[in-house]
Formats: sequence, structure tokens, C-alpha cells
Amino acid sequence: MEANGDASRLSGWRPTLGAGGDGLVPESFRKVAPEFRMVERRPTRLHISTNNSFTTQKMTKSKSLKLKKSLDRLQGVDYKLERQKKLQKQAEKRKRGKQAATTGAAEEDVLDGEEEVEAVGSNGVVQEGEEDETVDGAEWETDDEEDAEAGMDLSRLDDSDSDSSDEDDDDDEGEAELTAAARAGEVSDAEDDEDIPLSDIEDLSDSEKGDILPHQRLTINNAAALTRALKSIAVSTTAAPFSDHQALLTPAPIRIPDIDDDLSRELAFYAQCLDAATRARALLKAEHAPFTRPTDYFAEMVKSDEHMDKIKKKMIDEAAGKRAAADVRRQRDLKKFGKQVQVAKLQERDKAKRDMLEKVNILKRKRQGADTNQTTEEDLFDVALEDAAATEKADKAARRTSGSRGGRGGERGCRPSFSDRGGRGGGRGGRGGGGGAGRGGCEGGDGASFKRQKRDDKHGFGGKKRFGKSNDAASSADASGYSVRKMKGGKRGAPRPGKSRRTARA
Amino acid sequence: MAAVYKSLSKTTGKRDLEDGEKASGPRRNKQRVLILSSRGVTYRHRHLLNDLYSLLPHSRKDAKLDTKTKLYQLNELAELYNCNNVFFFEARKGKDLYLWMSKAPNGPTVKMHLQNLHTMEELHFTGNCLKGSRPILSFDASFESQPHLRVIKELLSHIFGVPKGARKTKPFVDHVMGFTIADGKIWIRCYQINETEPGKQKPLPEANGAPKTEAEAEEKPKKTGKNTDTNITLVEIGPRFVLTPIVILESSFGGPVIYENKEFVSPNQIRADLRRGKAGKYNARAEQGVDRKVKRGDLGLNTHGGRKAERDALDEKMLFA
Repeated sequence: MEANGDASRLSGWRPTLGAGGDGLVPESFRKVAPEFRMVERRPTRLHISTNNSFTTQKMTKSKSLKLKKSLDRLQGVDYKLERQKKLQKQAEKRKRGKQAATTGAAEEDVLDGEEEVEAVGSNGVVQEGEEDETVDGAEWETDDEEDAEAGMDLSRLDDSDSDSSDEDDDDDEGEAELTAAARAGEVSDAEDDEDIPLSDIEDLSDSEKGDILPHQRLTINNAAALTRALKSIAVSTTAAPFSDHQALLTPAPIRIPDIDDDLSRELAFYAQCLDAATRARALLKAEHAPFTRPTDYFAEMVKSDEHMDKIKKKMIDEAAGKRAAADVRRQRDLKKFGKQVQVAKLQERDKAKRDMLEKVNILKRKRQGADTNQTTEEDLFDVALEDAAATEKADKAARRTSGSRGGRGGERGCRPSFSDRGGRGGGRGGRGGGGGAGRGGCEGGDGASFKRQKRDDKHGFGGKKRFGKSNDAASSADASGYSVRKMKGGKRGAPRPGKSRRTARA
Repeated sequence: MAAVYKSLSKTTGKRDLEDGEKASGPRRNKQRVLILSSRGVTYRHRHLLNDLYSLLPHSRKDAKLDTKTKLYQLNELAELYNCNNVFFFEARKGKDLYLWMSKAPNGPTVKMHLQNLHTMEELHFTGNCLKGSRPILSFDASFESQPHLRVIKELLSHIFGVPKGARKTKPFVDHVMGFTIADGKIWIRCYQINETEPGKQKPLPEANGAPKTEAEAEEKPKKTGKNTDTNITLVEIGPRFVLTPIVILESSFGGPVIYENKEFVSPNQIRADLRRGKAGKYNARAEQGVDRKVKRGDLGLNTHGGRKAERDALDEKMLFA
């Protein structure tokens, strides 16, 4: 699909020339042109003979008009053609003059007319036959100019033009159209100065080419012949019922702003056809012609089953491909995100472990006798430890009052709770944590305690720093990390199966 | 003998029946299309031809035509096959495809350049239609704007419009062919008409607003009762191609030119221009090289050729001779 789209784009004449197409040749000129082609299809050599006719004309200027006419008829001078050429030449001369005047401004024009330059580039070649013609024309027109100097001849030429037209013309439309064309030619003189044969453009330099619209071939658009041809083949669609022809015309011409925009273009086509389908259905229903295919009507289709299978398979493949791509993308994203999650989780776990260790350390130190007056086990672990003495006392009191309800609850209510104060401070420090917390945590000076604690850590307060990592009696006695199984390499579960069994399982 | 009698009696009987109708009604539209290609078509051209052949039940496919110059032979061929339209693919240089459409004995001929060709097979569209169903032809309104376009439209409608009583046709309508003029070219598309019950599509939007459903549900059957309309959607079938009219001849594969498209640039020319553009670059560079050499020669800088450098009295060689 793409390749072909490139091909159409490659044929770069499309946008530029297409746009300039109507402006290229004025309408009236276009009307003239077909006559020129239609009537005069003689080999180019004939022009030379007509040159002679002109020289003889000059000589016999004084002689009667009749004689001249007969001579012309004999030699087959085509006045239509001459006139055409002459007009063209005049237009060209005018254009040249204009260009000479505007060469100063040409450089600016080049920028503006870049598109036109492109058009020239792509069209810059003239087909051989045409070139011959134009070259011949050029020869001829020099003679014509001489005639223009002579003055008299020109007017006579015009006179004889209308006279001889019916003789020259073998077209059915005949005189009326021809004279009309001639008139159109006169009228379009002013417009014609835009029209230059391509052969002349090649002589011009690049900078001058800027604002010239080249015309490549003289247009043939013989409307009369076309309508006649149409009439000969037309099948009247107005009288026949719609179901006979099933052809519909859109109510308005389709306008596609940008032909290269695939989506909007195809949408326009779709809309056109959809509209046609709905209208056609209404018309066919009105005529009671069958439209919808019944569901139980089976017949051969344009696309065979294999073809449809192929299409289906392709669609499935495409969908699968899309899904796979989406899957891969999701996985990739997850992987990226998952790494972050994993790192966060690991950090969290580390932190939890550290906290736990600290608490355990504090506990140990407490047990050993270091006085951590504020931090209590209850606070550390968020559990209320039962105070044996208090409980006994409470029990006694309860027994004394012989009422079982108030005692313990009341006791606990009275007991001061430290969980909201010193507990956190104690949890933070390393070895000297207990001491620091003890001092700073009294009045809840959290920032000061932290500072103090750090300093204590650094300068030594709360125990010695030396041999911190070396073993002592307790650590060497600690055999918690020791495992006989690991040491001796005991059996781990089932033994590894043999090669054959492993391959069979895989 | 019996057969002859039978046929005679049948025709007379029919004529009696249809006399009144025929006098008033128009003549029956009878079209047959001879569809063939020249030698040297590529596989894509051939596939397009097959696609079109499958879409046109009133067509007759023939073997490739041997000649590319004597196209008037096609008239005899059409007569032989009893066809009044000729649809001829002319391939040139194994890449360019030209399409001729002609009314066989003496009607006009249109020659067009075919571009942007995509066959059904390579397009993978899901649309499909009955083989032999008659298409609806949808023409752009611009076809009526100019005489040459009207001629082209008439030819297109004869060739692509399947006549009513044609052989192998199916009675139902299930595809549309669109002919659009854009950018001076004729774009051709083919769509399947897909009819869906409106009730089947409605539930989706209704799911949002629950209270509305009852009112609409009441309205719906009434609507369908009035119009009995189902929703129409189109699904493209293929093929796709674009035609640029080049020339219209008055008779079939001959006769005077009655229309010529001046905007058409032949693909050969485009290729040649491209090639020349590339060659121009080299030529300019080569010319520059020569110029430089001449310039150096003029300054007397070359050891061989060019002008000799003048001897100056203050030259080192003169001073320290």
C-alpha cells in the first residue's frame, strides 16, 4: 500500500499542476484550440509552402481579392492556424516585454513561484512531435510579423478568414462554431498573454522561469463531439425504473480538501457510498425490488472461503501480535516498578530488623543492671507486663474489700504510662542509648537527647568502645548460629534424581 | 424444426405481451463487457483484472491480446464474443497500466492511466459480497459538470453497472461502487452493504441511562414498523484504484481525438525528469571542475598548458640568478 502511495506522490505533477490546471489556459483559448488540432492535421512541411504563399501575396497586393482567394484554396492555406499562431506570438511578445520590465523583481518572484518552478521542472520536456510543430510555428511567425508591418494584408486576412472558414472546415458544426471560436479568440487576446509555448521557456534563464505557467499540450476538448458521442451511447436513466440501472449521483460534488490525507479522503468516499446505499435502498423498496439478502440464501461469494480464512487468520495474527506487544510492555513496566518496590521492601525489612535488635539490646542491658529508668519493657513492646508485687497487693486489696471488680482496673489506671514519652528516645541510640535516653528523656527534650546521644557515642560515655566487635565469654558461648546439619552437610530432602529422570521430567 | 417453431412462437407470443410495455418503456439495457489485457501485465495487474471480472457477471474474459499497436482488432474480438463494451488493460514497460474503455462497434473510447492499484487480495478487507449481485453505482456530482466527464460516466455505468436481466446475476443488492472525482482523477472504491438491526446496536448506549430504556424501547418498534429500516454500514471489499483520463477518441479504438487531458504527464516523462535531475547534478559538478582548471591555467599556475607566468624583475630567480 505504501509503495503505491509513494508512487503517486512521486509523480509530483499532481498537486502543483492540478492546482494550476484551470488557470493555465483561459477558457476561450481552450475552445479555440481543438479547432486548430481538428482541422489542421497536416504534416509540418506544408507550412513552408504556405510561407511561399505569403510572399506571393505581397507581390500581388494590388490584384483582386478573388484571385488571392483561389490561390489560397489551391495552396491550402489555413487561416485559422495562421491566426492562432499569430495570436500566440503576440501574446508571447507582450509577455516578454513585461518580463523585461520585471526582471528586477524577478528574484522576489522566484521565492513566491517556487511551486511553479517545480512544475516547470517536471513538465519541462516537450514531446518530439510538438516540438517540431512549435519550431515550425516560430519560423512561420516571423513571416507573419512582416505581414503585420505591411498592415493592409492583415485586415484582408481577417476578412478572408471568415469567408474561407466554411470551405476549410469539414466538421459538421461548421461555420457557426468556427466563427464563434474566432470571436472567442479575439476576446481572449488579453488573457492569452499568460500563455507561452513551452519551447520558449527553455530559452529563459532559471530566474525568469519563476512566474511562468507553462502549457504543455494544446488542449483538445471538443465539447460538441463529446456530447454527440454521449448521445449515441446514452441509456436514458430518467424514464427507466431505478432498479434497471441502480446508478446514483451525489447531490453535491465531493470536496476533498487535502487529497494526501488518507483518512479524510477515505472518509469522504465512505460517506458518499453510504449516502448512495441508503438512498438506493429507499428507491428499491419503493419499487418493491429485492434488496436485503435473506439469511438462508447461500451462494458463491466474490471472495472465496480460503481468501476469507486468510483474512481472518491475518486479523487474528494481528490481534495476537498486538496483545503480545502490550503484554511485553506491561511486563517491562512492572519490572521497572517492581525493582523499586523490592528495594523499598528490603529497606523496610532492614529497618525493622535493626529496630528489633536495638530493643533486644536495650532489654539485655537492662537485665544486666544498666538502669534505664524511663524505658520500660511495656513501652518497648507495647505490652503491659504484670507487676507481681502490684498484682499481689491488688489481690489482697480485692480480697479485703471482697469485691472483685475495682481492684486491678483501678490500679492500672493509676499507674503512670510512659509509652508516649521516653520510649522512642531510648529506641534510637546505639550502645549508649540507654544512658542518653535516661538523661534527655526525663523532660521529653527530644532534640537535645539526640545530640547528647551522638556525642556520647563519639566521645565515649556509657561503656567502653574498645573490643566492641571482639568476642567475649558470652558471645563465644552463644551457639545459636551453629548448625550441625550445615556443618556436616546432612541430607537435604530427596536426593537429586538421575539424568534420564531429570530430562524426562523437564 | 420443432425448436425453430418453438422459438418463433415464443418470440411472437412475448412480443404480443410486451408490445404495450415496449412502446412506452425504454429499451432494455443490454450490456456485455469484453475484459482482457495486453501482454506484459504484472501479477498485480492480472489480479486486478480477475477481481473486476468476478465483480462483473456480464463480462467475458479473453486471453491476452498479442498486439499493442493494432488495437482496432479488439472491435472484431468484441463482435465475436457478442460484446458491446471493451475493457482493456494495456501494460507498458511491465509497470505502467493503461485502461481502455470502449463502446465496441462505434462508440467513444476512453484511455486512462491506472495508478494506486491495490487488489482485493493484498488489501485484506473483511467485506464480501455475492458473486453476481448487482452493485449500486454512486457517482460524484462533478461527473455532470463537463462533457468529457459525462462521457466517462456513461462508459463507467455501462461497464460497472450490471444490467438487470444479465446472466448469472443474483437478485439482491449487497454492494456499492463509488466513483469520485478528486484532484482531476477518478477514484474507485467498492463497499459491502452491511445491514444490522437497530435493536442490536442500541443496547450499548442504553446501558448507561436505565430510566430511558423503557421509553425508547416503546418507540423503537413503532419506528421499525414505519420504515422497516435497518442500520446500514459499509465494509470495504476492494479493489482500489485511481484513473486519470488521458484521451477520448471518437470511435472505438480509432478516430479523431475529441478530448485530451493536458494535465496528464506520462509516467515515462516523470521518470525521465527524475533521471535528468540527477544527471544534472553531476554535469554541473563536472563543469565546475573544467572551469577551475581553465582558471588556474589562465593564472599560469599549471605546469602544462594554459598561460606561462610572466617573469618579473623582482622574482627570486631573477634576483639570485
